[in-house]
Amino acid sequence: MSSESKPLPIVEVLNLRKKYGAIQALKGISFSIGKGEIVGFLGPNGAGKSTTLRILSGLIPADSGEAKVCGVDLAEEEGEVRRHIGYLAENNPLPEDLRVIEYLNFRARLKGLEGSRKRERIKIVLDICDLERKVSERKIGNLSKGFRQRVGIADSLLAEPRLVILDEPTIGLDPRQSAVTRKMMERLRGEVSFLLSSHILSEVEACCDRMIILSHGQIVAEGTLRQLQEEFINKTIFEIVADGNRMELQRAIRAIDENCELIQDDPVEVTGKRRFTFSTDQGEEVAEKILRRLLGIEQFKITEFQITRPDLETIFLRATKKNWEDQDHLGRKKKRPVLVGEASR
Amino acid sequence: MREYWVILRAELFGLFISPATYVASFYFLSLLAIGFRFFIEGFATTDWILPPLASLVVGLVFGSPALIPFLTMRSFAEERRLGTLETMMSAPVGSVSLVFGKWSASYLFFLLICGFAFCFPALLLFLFPEQGESLGFTRYEQWIGGWLFLMVFGASFTSVGIFASSVTNNQMVAGMLSFTLLTLYLSLMAFSFGETSSPDSIDSLTDFWNASVGSIGNGLDKLQHFSVGLVDAGTILHQIIFTLFFLSLATLQVERLNH
Repeated sequence: MSSESKPLPIVEVLNLRKKYGAIQALKGISFSIGKGEIVGFLGPNGAGKSTTLRILSGLIPADSGEAKVCGVDLAEEEGEVRRHIGYLAENNPLPEDLRVIEYLNFRARLKGLEGSRKRERIKIVLDICDLERKVSERKIGNLSKGFRQRVGIADSLLAEPRLVILDEPTIGLDPRQSAVTRKMMERLRGEVSFLLSSHILSEVEACCDRMIILSHGQIVAEGTLRQLQEEFINKTIFEIVADGNRMELQRAIRAIDENCELIQDDPVEVTGKRRFTFSTDQGEEVAEKILRRLLGIEQFKITEFQITRPDLETIFLRATKKNWEDQDHLGRKKKRPVLVGEASR
Repeated sequence: MREYWVILRAELFGLFISPATYVASFYFLSLLAIGFRFFIEGFATTDWILPPLASLVVGLVFGSPALIPFLTMRSFAEERRLGTLETMMSAPVGSVSLVFGKWSASYLFFLLICGFAFCFPALLLFLFPEQGESLGFTRYEQWIGGWLFLMVFGASFTSVGIFASSVTNNQMVAGMLSFTLLTLYLSLMAFSFGETSSPDSIDSLTDFWNASVGSIGNGLDKLQHFSVGLVDAGTILHQIIFTLFFLSLATLQVERLNH
């Protein structure tokens, strides 16, 4: 695709900074989100996720840097930006004494929807969020957390936004309710861009096209799961379920790859066998070669062999670990202790 | 402007479905009705210099510290407690529209209650036309003057309530703060009753101060004019400035909460 025909990104963030008193919440982050993309925003508590989402929603201003949503500069036309986005705040605060339908009517009018278009949009979002008629007539204060979350998401989708920002959309939900949220995003994939922050890594892994990992106000990793796997875990990990002595198994494997490391050894229930996890930096071919050799040795009685890919949790921990160790609690770089030898040089 | 109307409508709806509003309005109107009945009964023996209709206006003004907190305390304090202020601001709504929308709703509700209170003399006039006429209830300038007085002071009182609600996330604290500020305001008016300065003779700092604060200090003196149908433009202007001052403070507070 030529650069001229390339569609404009829905979100463009350049060197965004924000400070709360002495704490530098964002230290110049830059990223972009394309049309229809679902991007997961990950990071430990206090990493700056919610601050970024609140800036992009037009709720708080950034100290410096540039942020554009749908080509509109947030610093100049904050009100205009709010017309293009749907926002679900963390903990999803809702008025308790209104019925679902009353609340959605109010929000629709607030977002400039009137008459038949308003009725049509409310019907559509109720359908997308699986809020059937009975639920829509109930008071919000009497709804379960899952339904309240769906009401919040329905509100964020009301004005046909081009970008939906969801701050912890599945926090406190049971797996079934989380699946409903995922299903909703799947249904709108390609039409609407989503930017969601979450601590539930398996969920981000399941529904996001791309992830941005934030730590201490900086982006420490960005890309698809595959890209992150390659960037952070460049070793091949494989598991073997076998009988026999650990030392002998290790010796047999080291005959092929002498740098192959045993990283875990767990018993397998009922069978009495053990599950061994190895890692090698020689790639998948060597792992397959090891399998062929072990199958030829009768005493190991191999029943399972699988090459595993590191999950998002492993990547997340690796990506944030270094940054975490380098910072103090205010997000400032820790001073490295000077060694005696270094001092004398 | 559109969002102002949407907020006003939603807030009015919120006031109409809130049991606290009905309870407060019922007790307020009941006590006012009882007070008005006894005042009218004993009117001939009192040394009241204002028209009898003004007693209702005085009752409404001095009773408002008990009523207005119920109408305003919920507006921002409850939104802050639930966290819905952030959700509200994520829609294309400005803080000015939000504050004015909420204030207008409580102001209109206050005027509605005043309207109900004005039904007492109207009912008396309808049921006992002769007595009503002798009490001056047929003189429309008194009705209009009294109503205007309530309109301007109601606007400033409700703006104080809205400001009190914006500074805390606890409804009770907002209500008590609103009650305290309004009581202080009324005390100031009551204590300075009869010390009206003439704007023609500003020759000392005290005179200048009295002329500047105008109806804030001598609101009750102005009631003497309004109650006979004399509209004092200065009082109206002072109260508008007072209202805008407190609404601006509330707007600044809402802006501050978002940053």
